[in-house]
Amino acid sequence: MEFLNLTFGQFAALFGAVAAFSVALYLLDRTRRKQIVATLRFWVEPGKAAPVTRRSRIQQPLSLLLQLVGMLLLLLAIAEFQFGGRGNARRDHVLVLDNSAWMGAALPTRPNANLMDLARASALGWLRAVPAADRVLLVRANGLATPATAWETDRRVIARAILETTPGATSLNLSQSLEFASQLQHGSGSLPGEIVYAGPGRISTREANNLTLPKIPAFRVLTLDDNIANSGIRSLGARRSATDTGAWDILLRVRNYGTAPRAVTATLNFGNIPQGSRPIELAAGAEQEVSFSVHTRAAGLLEARLYPKDAFGADNYAALELPESRSLRVVVYSDQPEGLKPALASDTRVLPEFRKTAQYVPEPDPNALVILHHFRPETLPRGNVLWIDPPQANSPFQIMARLDHVENLRWVPDHPLTAGLRARDVQLGAASVFVPRPTDIRLAEATDGPVMIASASDNGKSHTVVMGFDPFAGAMRFELTTPLMLANVFRWVAPDVFRDLDVGTQSAGAIAMPYAGKDKDTVQVLTDSGDNLPFNVRDKSVEFFAGESARVRVLAGNSERVYSLTLPEMWDVKWTPPAGVRKGIPAWNDSLRRNLDWWPWLALLGAAVLIAEWIAYGRYSPLKLRVVKRPLERAA
Amino acid sequence: MSGRGETLLDREFLERLERLTIHWQRSFAGLVGGHNRSRFAGGGQEFLDHRHFHDGDDLRAVNWRAYMRLDKMFLKMFQIEPRVPVRMLLDTSASMAAGTGEKFLFARRLAAALCYVGLVRLDTIQLLPFSATLREGKTLGGGRHRYRVAAEFLEDLKPEGATDFLTIVRQYLNEYPQRGLVIVLSDFLDERTCEPALQYLADYGNELMLIQLWADEDRTPPWSGEVDFVDAESGGRLRIQVDDEARRLYTEGFDAFSAAIKEVALRNDGKYAGIPTSLPLDEAIFGTLVRVRSIA
Repeated sequence: MEFLNLTFGQFAALFGAVAAFSVALYLLDRTRRKQIVATLRFWVEPGKAAPVTRRSRIQQPLSLLLQLVGMLLLLLAIAEFQFGGRGNARRDHVLVLDNSAWMGAALPTRPNANLMDLARASALGWLRAVPAADRVLLVRANGLATPATAWETDRRVIARAILETTPGATSLNLSQSLEFASQLQHGSGSLPGEIVYAGPGRISTREANNLTLPKIPAFRVLTLDDNIANSGIRSLGARRSATDTGAWDILLRVRNYGTAPRAVTATLNFGNIPQGSRPIELAAGAEQEVSFSVHTRAAGLLEARLYPKDAFGADNYAALELPESRSLRVVVYSDQPEGLKPALASDTRVLPEFRKTAQYVPEPDPNALVILHHFRPETLPRGNVLWIDPPQANSPFQIMARLDHVENLRWVPDHPLTAGLRARDVQLGAASVFVPRPTDIRLAEATDGPVMIASASDNGKSHTVVMGFDPFAGAMRFELTTPLMLANVFRWVAPDVFRDLDVGTQSAGAIAMPYAGKDKDTVQVLTDSGDNLPFNVRDKSVEFFAGESARVRVLAGNSERVYSLTLPEMWDVKWTPPAGVRKGIPAWNDSLRRNLDWWPWLALLGAAVLIAEWIAYGRYSPLKLRVVKRPLERAA
Repeated sequence: MSGRGETLLDREFLERLERLTIHWQRSFAGLVGGHNRSRFAGGGQEFLDHRHFHDGDDLRAVNWRAYMRLDKMFLKMFQIEPRVPVRMLLDTSASMAAGTGEKFLFARRLAAALCYVGLVRLDTIQLLPFSATLREGKTLGGGRHRYRVAAEFLEDLKPEGATDFLTIVRQYLNEYPQRGLVIVLSDFLDERTCEPALQYLADYGNELMLIQLWADEDRTPPWSGEVDFVDAESGGRLRIQVDDEARRLYTEGFDAFSAAIKEVALRNDGKYAGIPTSLPLDEAIFGTLVRVRSIA
């Protein structure tokens, strides 16, 4: 015997209060009342004694008894009284409905239907077999487990949520979904029922390797037959060619998910212009890479397609946006430019232009870098300028001394211009020691003072670097410090141009980008709309999660990576349910056996008893107030 | 919105009453008028019979054609249509207002309806409210346009006092010796028994139309348990334990009382109608009163 809504103590206390109130009302109702009437003559018949007055508190014990019984039955109904043990009590079930990307695969045997339709049908079938008093909570499971409903006894709410479930863009995270369902069930407060997984059980290799299912006493799996032939794009990546200026190396990875070999053709378009196609022979379950080369400096959309089309079309197409190839224009004024030319020609992003000092004209392009090599023009340049060993006479910077040999050279750390520079690498000859202004940045210090300084304008648009020595002369031109220092200058002057760019198309879901740094503050993960995505820096990588198709930029230090997450996250292996797991929809008799809801009948019976009492004993009951017309008319 | 004289009966209901007529069985000497024919000959419009001429008869009534042919004088007699006053005794005692007061309202509405029926047929109606004694009445005649006066008179009545039928009947016979139809609208709940007084009224040649009204609680009391009853008229108290048996005895006593009143009416060639106030008024008029031929 169980009270589902109340403890026995609560029930007894409530019934006691209601019974006391009912008895009090009863006694009040039956107490002596004053009643003004038209006549008294018929109460006392002539010649007969008046009816004997009996002073009894309980005048109609059956009426009181019926009222108490009615109240008792109604309270039992409210308490959801049930016979039997807790085995018949209400239970809470969690339905985990797979809505991973793979659920959008079309069924070869049923037109216009996909795996999601099958999963919905089996979930609804299970829902119909659940006892009416049990509560159900729906969890949608893909890369993240999301509750779609609260604990519900209203089956229409659950059914509506099931029908509204659509395939997502990520693969199934089964262990997280089942763990989440188990936690929900433990926190519900009622007896735990089943945790039901409805789906094909396709998971990634990473998920399969780390699969640890929670201990679930009643675990049911509604399996789906998903033997569907499919081949698709796993990833599409683009990187600037290291050998060819203005070219991109494109890498396309394709996989055959089916159990039979397939021959497919991969095509590549850039800006709707075909760039090439590759026939690919894919063995069953095999993955293969093909590469393309695209020549362009302009930005545009790069699209890869796979033919022929198959049951799952979402992974037959991938696209990414190639950014424009930007460059830095460098104008060198030098009468001895031979030493500079190799250093400037090493980076394809630098467009050098060498001029004689006599050809000097002020540079109109504010983004260009002007290098003045042992030269001071009459009109000083305004934009970005690199002064290399300016002449002592008429120097634009105050020179404290001229050293023939620099000793104790020390690079000032923690500045982008001195990143990677070490003092022991440098064999510095003659150098000028400057008298720095308060706003100048000291970059290299000798014993007598700074030999290299820098400054930036207030708005940060123009930069000036002054070297008191010539790194392209003497022994220093053979040092690694020279190209590093020049590269640092370029990056400082034009960081956008020299940022390492790597674009690629991947599947949505959990993304981990390699990142050697530790500083979290320099990392930004941005969507196309400029919103910040939450991320974590862990194990030398930046990790973030994208639940749907999107374009995401990750800025980390000097590198930028653009993710076009247009591909669905696909599975690698099929999960096999452990032995002992219940399978399929439970039989009707199994559910009916536990469906012993007494409360509606108790409520009806209680109401019937109260109505009967009112009819039989109520002061204004229809039996007593009914006008008996026939005797009246007969009397008339 | 209803004005004075329109709260008791609405216009639609009055229109339905226009086809009815108050009926009585006896003939009463009186003036020409009304729609109840008299067996008394007189100066009416309709020929009734011939008789021999006697000295002093009106020569205008001599049948001269018969005289010329038979050489005898015959007098033409015409049927008179008397203006017999219909007197309506309306109980305004406190017992009529006991409980919810619906009995008094019902009685006034019924009186208003009968008034209108009589006025439409050009009868003369005399409204006589009473409780312990006869109160000031109102005589109405001359057609339906006088109904408003009757309705306003009925609306202004207030229930008060105890009922004393014997005193009332004595007073009535003194003030209104002319015989006629007497309609009594009452619950007939008197401290003393009312049957002798009613018989007294009939013995003086009046035709009785007794309409007994009761509220449902007057006949079938709904109370149970210990009840302290107070008489609305006398203020007498009775503390009694009411149970099913007591209620059954009460109803039997009430029915016997109603039967006694009915017997008085029928024994004197009158009419009786017992009407509960829970009955709709139109059903009481077009059903009960038509069935007992009080009106037709």
